[in-house]
Amino acid sequence: MDILLFLPETILSALIFLYLCLALAKKELSPKTLTRLAGLGAFVVLVSVVYSMNFSGQLFHGTYRSDLLSQCFKALIGLGLLLTVLLSGSPLAVPGSRALEYFVFLFSATLGMMMISSSVDLLTLFVSMELSSYSLYLLTALRLDRRNAESSVKYLILGAAGSGVFLWGASLVIGLSGTASFAGLIQSPASAQPAFLLGLVFILFAFLFKLSAAPMHFWAPDVYESAATPVTNFIATASKAAAVAILVRFLMSSGVSAALAGLLGVFAFISMTLGNTAALLQKDVKRLLAYSSIAQAGYILVGLLAGTPEGYASSLFYAAAYLLMNTGVFLVVHLVAKALKHDNPQLAHFDGLAERSPKLALLLLLSLLSLAGIPPLAGFTGKWILFSAAMDQGHWFLVLWAVLNSVVSLFYYLTLAKHAYLEKPSTKEPIVLTGPMKSLGFGLLLSIIALGIFPDLFISLAQKAVSGALIP
Amino acid sequence: MSFPLLTCILLAPVTGLVLILLTPGRQETLIKWIALAAAAVTLVLSIWLCLKFDPANTGFQFVERLDWVKSYGIHYSNAVDGLNVWMILLTSIVIFCGILVSWTVTFRVKDFFANMLFLVSGVFGVFMTTNLFFFFLFYEIAVIPMYLLIVIWGSTNKQYAAMKLTLYLLLGSALMFAGFLYIYSLPGSHTFDLIQIKQNVSFTAEAQNVLFLGLFLGFGVLAACFPFHVWSPDGHVAAPTAASMLHAGVLMKLGAYGILRVGVYLLPEGARHWAHLVAWLSLCNIVYGALVATQQKDLKYIIGYSSVSHMGIVLLGIATLTPVGFNGAVFQMFSHGLMTALFFACVGHIYDGCHTRQLSDLGGLSKQAPVISAFFIIAGLCGLGLPGMGSFVAELLVTIAALSVYPVIGIVSLTALLVTAYYVLTAVQKTFYGPVSEKASHLRDIGLFQFIPRAILVGCLIYFGIFPQVFIHLISVSTKGLLGA
Repeated sequence: MDILLFLPETILSALIFLYLCLALAKKELSPKTLTRLAGLGAFVVLVSVVYSMNFSGQLFHGTYRSDLLSQCFKALIGLGLLLTVLLSGSPLAVPGSRALEYFVFLFSATLGMMMISSSVDLLTLFVSMELSSYSLYLLTALRLDRRNAESSVKYLILGAAGSGVFLWGASLVIGLSGTASFAGLIQSPASAQPAFLLGLVFILFAFLFKLSAAPMHFWAPDVYESAATPVTNFIATASKAAAVAILVRFLMSSGVSAALAGLLGVFAFISMTLGNTAALLQKDVKRLLAYSSIAQAGYILVGLLAGTPEGYASSLFYAAAYLLMNTGVFLVVHLVAKALKHDNPQLAHFDGLAERSPKLALLLLLSLLSLAGIPPLAGFTGKWILFSAAMDQGHWFLVLWAVLNSVVSLFYYLTLAKHAYLEKPSTKEPIVLTGPMKSLGFGLLLSIIALGIFPDLFISLAQKAVSGALIP
Repeated sequence: MSFPLLTCILLAPVTGLVLILLTPGRQETLIKWIALAAAAVTLVLSIWLCLKFDPANTGFQFVERLDWVKSYGIHYSNAVDGLNVWMILLTSIVIFCGILVSWTVTFRVKDFFANMLFLVSGVFGVFMTTNLFFFFLFYEIAVIPMYLLIVIWGSTNKQYAAMKLTLYLLLGSALMFAGFLYIYSLPGSHTFDLIQIKQNVSFTAEAQNVLFLGLFLGFGVLAACFPFHVWSPDGHVAAPTAASMLHAGVLMKLGAYGILRVGVYLLPEGARHWAHLVAWLSLCNIVYGALVATQQKDLKYIIGYSSVSHMGIVLLGIATLTPVGFNGAVFQMFSHGLMTALFFACVGHIYDGCHTRQLSDLGGLSKQAPVISAFFIIAGLCGLGLPGMGSFVAELLVTIAALSVYPVIGIVSLTALLVTAYYVLTAVQKTFYGPVSEKASHLRDIGLFQFIPRAILVGCLIYFGIFPQVFIHLISVSTKGLLGA
């Protein structure tokens, strides 16, 4: 039974081991084979998560907990991995000579993220976070040009600082309460002391770093811009899901006091405002998406700071919607970049996409509209339930501000769509879609619409997951 | 559940949309016929709805209800009363005529008709739903295709106008969104169902005042309430003919309908509190719209500003908070919808033939194209409130109500009607009489096929102008019930 609780992680570890052995075997495998193998592996991981969906229990002396909530997030992370692997089939993204390392770190990052979503102990959490972070630092550095090196070093330094802050906070909290487990933290008599609260805030900073929310957002634009597109997609989707997972789990145990809600409210406010304003000025599409993700992190915080089961459930729902719609955009960015033979497409490179490939343009349009929260798409339903949870707790100003921000965001999302639909293309050359890309795009399109129109199933799943995790 | 007539009205354009998307883009004629068939089905069903509507029933009729997201109190629920039954009919008339008028579209035909049907599905949805979630959902569905319609098929500064329109409307919807969620969060609520909210939630005076103001501003943007009207003339001018028809004819009514259905229905005290503000703003609409219209050189801008002015009459009717005023407001929504649709249908044809809408370039069109000129002049006469036309009765009702509640505003708005007469007659005189201008000499008159949609609109205008009782009969029960009397 125990091994079943740890099944997806075990499979991932086996995959890492397999790829390391392949590296040792010195037998040159073509990147194509490696990608296919990785795709198969990611699929098996996803299936194993779904299989283990209903198992729940504790592992490793109560520091690790698998329940519906963690499995839901693991399913998202696994899906993020699978989609990222599917996007990886371009030499532009992954230099052929580095394909092995690329997949090893991709798997280890996934392993770390899955462990994050199951951690109920500060030390386990720290180990998991470092595992995923260091893998991501390396993944962003794989392209090896100057720009890339600079941004990955920036990412590393800021990330290390984040970890340091986390450790500082954790040492305060653990020192005052005498326990590292989440459940123990709230019951500890020290939980009202200012130093304890300060520790909590420091710990939260590390989570905000992963979520790319203000004030820990500085790394996002550079990293998004310079990393290979599939890696950016991975950071923007799976890593975000892991961040939401740990925030949900942590806030659930610590509870959201009025002061904490106020603090998170300030961060949400800054994230939304800053992300959306800065995105208005961007020309580089990946940089634009980075600022958009900062803004989106703000919306998620608005739901989280409600501190109610509805708030947590809607954050989970929104993380799922966000994964789908963001991957939709990144799929298009990836294919445009591939046709362009340059991994940093600017807004102008999307000109006339509708003529070059109507299907891609449609996917882009709907994903962007969904990000902007236009019905009947997944992003709209997600925002609706996020904000109604926050409104329920009386955060009307934040909700109003968030909604107004969504309107602002529509401007830059529509600008990108306008380039795709209205500008004349500089080249008439059509973008040919391979079979898998076509079906991937179609699948994303359908799920964005389906999640928007028929959300009930997923909302009740999310609510069940949250209520299951609430019982200590 | 009985036969889901309302859902069928909604599904007809949706089905048409799906069929069009499945049809290859080359088969333009087939696509047009599919769109027309979908519109015809909605038209027949809407007429049937009006005929089967029971005017003695004070509550909602044709109620349909399906749980959607139970935990959030979101139901797919539709119902009609005297207010929206007419709005649904108006929408189906305008879309039917709009599709006939757009038979001349040749650029990206498939996308055009798909967008039209998508837009109209949203409009139908807003008019029939009784759940705030779906209200908002359908509202936004109606806005986004409008952006595409203007930006792809539009004219005159279209990118600017389209972005302006979209951002304005979504800004309005942001206020709605926040307002709806606020209603949801009130004690005893936790549902988005309009009828349940009305029954279960007791709003405090403060909540009523804040909410009504927020919702009024939100809806007011779409209803082109002064000072949020600036998007509307630009949008009208830039939009292609059929989109202008739908936009001025139906879309702006969504805002006024929202004020009545959500604002006044749920928050009667809030409405009373702000009624003076609404009345003064509506007066600004009426006077300012009419004055600006006198200064315009472009035929479409004249109609655009006249719409601003006429929407002021709707808002004034609402602001009186009397059954008579409401009747007048809804009647004005209905007849103004038909009238502007007719206006834009005529201007669209003139623009296609002359490639200009500047008054100075036009002249003597009545010699060149007597039929289209006659239609335009009829619309113009309706616009200045000629007895025997729908608008006359509507404006009469609103003015009567306004004079009794706000005598000063009533009198000033009456004088504004003179300004309306001035700009309408000037435009008619410059465009249709005098020597035939050089550009106008290319204009051909409309054929029989293009005669039909305009004739339908004129027919309806005159029918309801002569038999206003048909209209008043169905709505008076519901407008009396609005204030909870």
